[in-house]
Amino acid sequence: MVLDIKENKSKSTIYVPDIATIKKVEKLSPIEKLFTIVFDDPKKQEEFSFRPGQFVELTVFGLGEAPFSIPSSPNNKKCFQLCVRDIGNVSGALHRMDAGSKIGIRGPFGKGYFPYDKMRNQNILIVAGGLGLAPVMSLIDYILEDRKNYKELNLVYGALDPESIIFKDRVKEFEKRKDIDIHLTVDNTDASWKGNVGVVTKLIPAIECVPEETFAVVCGPPVMYKFVVKELEKKNLRPENIYLSLERRMECGVGKCNHCHIGDKLACVDGPVFSLWEIRNLKEAI
Amino acid sequence: MLYKILKKENYTDFVEKLISEYEFIGPKKKDKVFHDFVPIKDLRELDTDYKKTTIAPAKKLLFPPTEELVEYEVGDVIKVKPLVESSEKILFGIDACDINGMNFMDWIFSTEFIDENYFAKRRKLIVIGKDREPSETCFALSMGAEYAKDGFDIFLTELEDRYFLRIATSKGNEITEKFARIQDATDSDFRDYDKFMDDYRSKFKLKINIDNFYDDFEFIYSNEKYWEEASKNCYSCGSCNLVCPTCFCFNVKDDMQLNLKVGNKMREWDSCMIPEYGLVAGGHNFRPTKENRLKQRYRCKLKTFVDKYGKYACVGCGRCIEACLAKINIVEDVNSVKKEVSA
Ligand SMILES: Cc1cc2nc3c(=O)[nH]c(=O)nc-3n(C[C@H](O)[C@H](O)[C@H](O)COP(=O)(O)OP(=O)(O)OC[C@H]3O[C@@H](n4cnc5c(N)ncnc54)[C@H](O)[C@@H]3O)c2cc1C
Ligand code: SF4
Ligand code: SF4
Repeated sequence: MVLDIKENKSKSTIYVPDIATIKKVEKLSPIEKLFTIVFDDPKKQEEFSFRPGQFVELTVFGLGEAPFSIPSSPNNKKCFQLCVRDIGNVSGALHRMDAGSKIGIRGPFGKGYFPYDKMRNQNILIVAGGLGLAPVMSLIDYILEDRKNYKELNLVYGALDPESIIFKDRVKEFEKRKDIDIHLTVDNTDASWKGNVGVVTKLIPAIECVPEETFAVVCGPPVMYKFVVKELEKKNLRPENIYLSLERRMECGVGKCNHCHIGDKLACVDGPVFSLWEIRNLKEAI
Repeated sequence: MLYKILKKENYTDFVEKLISEYEFIGPKKKDKVFHDFVPIKDLRELDTDYKKTTIAPAKKLLFPPTEELVEYEVGDVIKVKPLVESSEKILFGIDACDINGMNFMDWIFSTEFIDENYFAKRRKLIVIGKDREPSETCFALSMGAEYAKDGFDIFLTELEDRYFLRIATSKGNEITEKFARIQDATDSDFRDYDKFMDDYRSKFKLKINIDNFYDDFEFIYSNEKYWEEASKNCYSCGSCNLVCPTCFCFNVKDDMQLNLKVGNKMREWDSCMIPEYGLVAGGHNFRPTKENRLKQRYRCKLKTFVDKYGKYACVGCGRCIEACLAKINIVEDVNSVKKEVSA
């Protein structure tokens, strides 16, 4: 066939990962680790830019590939980070890797990101559950690094128990800082815990916000969305201003394999971040 | 488009030349009922008058059931190289609705990101289409897919004593000029072709009531009883996906050879009708029931791509109806949605 689509003369295809090295591994919780990663090709590292909410496909050579959101700040050009829960094949293999190990990276992917540009001069309310704190960390850091351009910043974060809290140092830092209000809760307590107990939704009503000037961001386990959205709607936030990062099974990350479809949308290319308004008619979305 | 005429007495010579000059893929009788697209070495193997749609659609030539995408060598340094295979082939005797299926695949594999593994093959595939009588499960006419406007190099329509050739590409023109004794189509050829097309369209007896489905689907969406009934016999076997010329879902896997030095990334066809499709690590399944899955399959085929592609992602070939042991029938289901709404 004579096609309009020009032949790809470069030596790469959309499935070819770039080689990168794990520089540092930190334990964040009993099941989560934070990996600091640098591309082997300095030029690739320099060019690698992403927006808060985007993700990469990580290859463990010979074993498999899986999508992970990038929790580090887009302003950090020297390296990037991934926070991974040990839960299956690829994630398990990653947890067994040490600094110095080689991995493959494709991406960043996802046209739907947290709209930090539209959020300027607005109040921001972030609701995260469990591992859902990882994808929004990138946004939090981005805002903190450009703090004067944003109004109030509230973070509601719920974890299973005190041990499961990820980014503990950062959480402590946020508790001290005046430019971010953190509202922390756990489902199950232990003796050491002096804070809130219960699900994140309980903390939302007490947060004051001006509906017309507030953006909300939600990220957490699938069961969480419906309940959080209900609370946010009670606050009269506009559905266009409520952003959800939705996770689905992904195989390719580039809109071909179709696994991540949510009704008529694909989480990988149309998302993974969607506004509530975009998905209002997709009955399977939340 | 160029319009040419190939006399029937010159047809054999043309096809034989193509068989000897090219890697030639065409429909061959497999058993009493089915045909398959396979390499043809001898004209006698070729049977373009197949009645039943060929079992596996021609998509396997561009998007094989399993395909290596990337190869790597793991050592002190890791070397990665893309595997992009392509060799020139002729695909002969594919019908209009299957060409439309292939056009949809072209769209999928070129939207957002260009899939070079697919297009390297597509560029080298010379498509020579041919009209065929619809099988009893074919409803391509209602889907607007009984006629192919593009996606082929040459399209042959059989008139009484000659073939009416539509030549859509310069490649198609080169081939006919080199290998066929052709002449320009005249007014009377066009008249006969027009008559043939009317007659051809009148042979599509099976009708699907698709016109209002886009909205009616939302009406039926939450009717649990309807979906329970529609999907109750489904074995979740995925046959309907495998035989479909527009199904494109796949899994990506990495594998290592036993020497632990050379590995690859490959893809294999997947099926949205099997339970594992929506399953993620940790055990959550985004589409756990067969009701969910059948509903999603119909949405994907008949709605999703109306928005994105401007056309249905079903060309009405009828293969899924023939392949389903549970007798789940897309035409009956869509028609019954219409009945429910208008009741
Ligand atoms: C946009 C996005 C961002 C994500 N961000 C993070 C993150 O920051 N940290 C983190 O720990 N996890 C994240 N996940 C989930 C993570 O992708 C899965 O935990 C991971 O795929 C599990 O892979 P596995 O090979 O270990 O598990 P297996 O059970 O062996 O899975 C096999 C394959 O199935 C697919 N798959 C399985 N589970 C998921 C899933 N939940 N989502 C998508 N594909 C899946 C993958 O292709 C995977 O390779 C994210 C998922 C998505 C879609
Ligand atoms: S609809 Fe038929 S072919 Fe498709 S998965 Fe169910 S039983 Fe199999
Ligand atoms: S859904 Fe069925 S009728 Fe439609 S293109 Fe696929 S196999 Fe053919």
